[in-house]
Amino acid sequence: MGHVRFAQYRTGEPYIVMDDVSYRYPGAKCYALEGLNLTISKGEFVAILGEHGTGKSTFCQLLNGVIPNFQGGQMEGSVIVAGLNTQEVSVAELAQKVGIVLQDPEAQLFTTKVISEVAFGPENLCIEADEILERVRWALQVVRLTGFEERSPTSLSGGQKQRLAIAAALAMRPEVLVLDEATSQLDPVGTSEVLSVVRKLNQEYDVTIFMATHKSEEVAQFADRVLILHQGRLIAQGTPQEVFEREGLLRRAGIRPPQVSQLAIYLKERSLHLSEFPITTEQARRGIEQLLNSLPDMWRETRFFCRPNQASDCSLDVLECQTTLYQAKNLVSDIKVENLTYIYQPYGVVALEDVSFEVGKGEFVAIIGQNGAGKTTLLKNIVGLLKPTRGRMLVEGFDTRQTTVAELSRRVGLILQNPDQQLFSQTVEEEIAFGPRNLNLPDPEVVRRVEEAIAMLGLERFRQEFPLALAIGDRVRVVIASVLAMEPHIILLDEPTMGQDYRGHHQIMGIAKRLHQEGHTIVIATHHVDLVAEYAQRVIVLRKGKILLDDTPAAVFSQPEVLLRTHVAPPQITQLAQALPAYLGLPRNVLTVVELGEAVIGKLVNSVHHN
Amino acid sequence: MDSPVEYYPGRSLFHRLDPRAKIIFLLLFTIVIFVTQHIHVAVAVLLTVIALWCIARLPLRTMGSHLKMWGGLIAFLFVVQVVLRPGEVILINPLIPPSVPLIGGKGNITGEGVLFAFLIVARLLAIIPILPLVSMTTPIHLLTLGFVRLGLPYQLAYTITTALNLIPTLQAEARLITDAQKLRAFRTFEKGGPIAKLKAYPLLVTPLVIGAMRRGQLTAVAMESRGFGAKGKRTYIEDIAMKPRDWAFIALVALYCLAALLMNFLS
Repeated sequence: MGHVRFAQYRTGEPYIVMDDVSYRYPGAKCYALEGLNLTISKGEFVAILGEHGTGKSTFCQLLNGVIPNFQGGQMEGSVIVAGLNTQEVSVAELAQKVGIVLQDPEAQLFTTKVISEVAFGPENLCIEADEILERVRWALQVVRLTGFEERSPTSLSGGQKQRLAIAAALAMRPEVLVLDEATSQLDPVGTSEVLSVVRKLNQEYDVTIFMATHKSEEVAQFADRVLILHQGRLIAQGTPQEVFEREGLLRRAGIRPPQVSQLAIYLKERSLHLSEFPITTEQARRGIEQLLNSLPDMWRETRFFCRPNQASDCSLDVLECQTTLYQAKNLVSDIKVENLTYIYQPYGVVALEDVSFEVGKGEFVAIIGQNGAGKTTLLKNIVGLLKPTRGRMLVEGFDTRQTTVAELSRRVGLILQNPDQQLFSQTVEEEIAFGPRNLNLPDPEVVRRVEEAIAMLGLERFRQEFPLALAIGDRVRVVIASVLAMEPHIILLDEPTMGQDYRGHHQIMGIAKRLHQEGHTIVIATHHVDLVAEYAQRVIVLRKGKILLDDTPAAVFSQPEVLLRTHVAPPQITQLAQALPAYLGLPRNVLTVVELGEAVIGKLVNSVHHN
Repeated sequence: MDSPVEYYPGRSLFHRLDPRAKIIFLLLFTIVIFVTQHIHVAVAVLLTVIALWCIARLPLRTMGSHLKMWGGLIAFLFVVQVVLRPGEVILINPLIPPSVPLIGGKGNITGEGVLFAFLIVARLLAIIPILPLVSMTTPIHLLTLGFVRLGLPYQLAYTITTALNLIPTLQAEARLITDAQKLRAFRTFEKGGPIAKLKAYPLLVTPLVIGAMRRGQLTAVAMESRGFGAKGKRTYIEDIAMKPRDWAFIALVALYCLAALLMNFLS
């Protein structure tokens, strides 16, 4: 594999040029971005990766002149977009060149009709009404929302809202489209829907794309060039292949490479090299097939790569774990759902329909399914915020219809999606004490619980801080601590990883795992199938308010066709295992990178023995 | 969720009126209510607004929830007026004997007080549904356009209508916050006394305001990115045109208000 730098980019005139750009937000001491030098050609598809708070959004807003023209602050250097210096023209003028789509769909849809949403931009630009209508028609067609003209944006699904936001940007006929984590709230199918639209714009209309994201699988699939930002600096750039191979760099920047790349790195660390460094499932499939087929030669060439006994032992371990996991069902049940139907009034939307299941004490259950499948409704029914329209919900034997939310909160805690709606107090200590005080516990007991929760989540530094002013990851931890201080036995988490980066994901899942090991029952709703595969013992798959599957992760992810019906795909590593030809004899229901890596090694070891 | 000000789609006559006609109706009726000292006028306006509400086929439940929301304030004002208005005493305050210093002998119920209290209540009841009557029957972008065509600058018109739009957003947000509070066994907003509730409001307002500011900043960026505030004469894909029925409606409203004011000043 070659390391020819930048040679693969599309060639052409410099189209976007950043010359030694540094920027500070008004009142900030530190630079949000520092010393940025970059040249991009027209029609490139550029992905921007980096941790939370590392300058991705700042970068995006530099491109359309919102920084510095609207945000203020102090900017050095210059940004030239399509021949225009962003500091010399107004944001409105640049808006015709650069469209931007933000993460939060609600914040960027401000009209009451789809058609007026899309027309909003061109109307501001004083374009003739006929021309606008033509553009609206085109933009809605590109994002496949034709026929939705008269609908209210609030009535659309998450994926549709994001596509509408893209259409609204497209109607300005931009030459550059900037997506600032525009797919982060979408289910996998919603994400690929949006990205296929973006790719079409890129290929058919030569629109230059900038995409800030955490989804490296998609980056690998679509991007020409990847920029890696770390602490306000551009620390690396290259093709996805070049970047995802640089494991040390990625670790420093807090970026997770695609699972198939992780596999290649795992094997490389054990001196097993794939002929081509894979970033897509297809490349990995080819590479592994080749590796296993070329086995005898390779064995002669390379040195001893793994102690055979140990290797087969660990792969055995993994298998054993998988078979013993799903047994909790026959224990005492913590949550018992009986023919639960929930209907939202006044429009009569059926969110859950005749759902029945039980969760045993000490289980770790994940709930997955498309946007709007009923995950949040289910969790809110468990804690009693919503009461069943029909059927029954029993929590530790208590019927939620006859028990108050406050009473249930001693037994079951729910961490909701958005931390900002769950923090009300002036200091972190007060925040955590809020629940126990409401339970009228004696002071020493309140103090004990606060101290325990602070210690458990490592919040010692923040005791006296204002919770809402903390960084997103810390805010989520304060919310979790506040719920833990209620000392509920059952803990529910609703998309707790939303809006967070790779490190944030694992931090939260690590906490969930620890709580589980301490005996808590955990139920978590999420779109992150890789986390589900790694942490959960049982997966409940919802589709349009009904249970589609309810089984172990291995069993659930072995049915990709069924999952697709609710817009979910198995983790990439599982997809790879399923794509590998059967004659190789590798397990198909693999859940983690390590599992497949060990299986491959085990295979090699075995055949070495036989030879 | 049913929001008390958000657009409620419909094809009623009132829905189809030109936004300008409805804005003029809103202004004139509001003026009448503010000016009138006459209980008959206030009651007549109240009945007219209710009639229009029915003509527009808006859900009565929404009107009910409005009144419920303001019910506490209305009751409070009623009591204050009844006991504080000087005049001919019709009922001596039975709670405080006259011998008590300072407040003794105060708080007697007067005939004027009762009448005036009813007037206040009728005025409040009439004024509360006027704004929702207009905002629920007019899509927000047309309402903006109505203000623009009446001569307001676009930015100002947009700000007014967006403020209206903010109410349902904040309501939804407030609901999520109180849900999170219930999950931590907080029950004051459900069953606490009025003073406890008042004390608890910072717990709701803090996250609400900070959340609104965070989202507002994003919205501002999104709007700016879509050319909001660009120079030149803004275009509109949907135009509005005054029809004879709109002129007739305005004439009717104007006559009605004139009559109401005359009655007020003459009597």
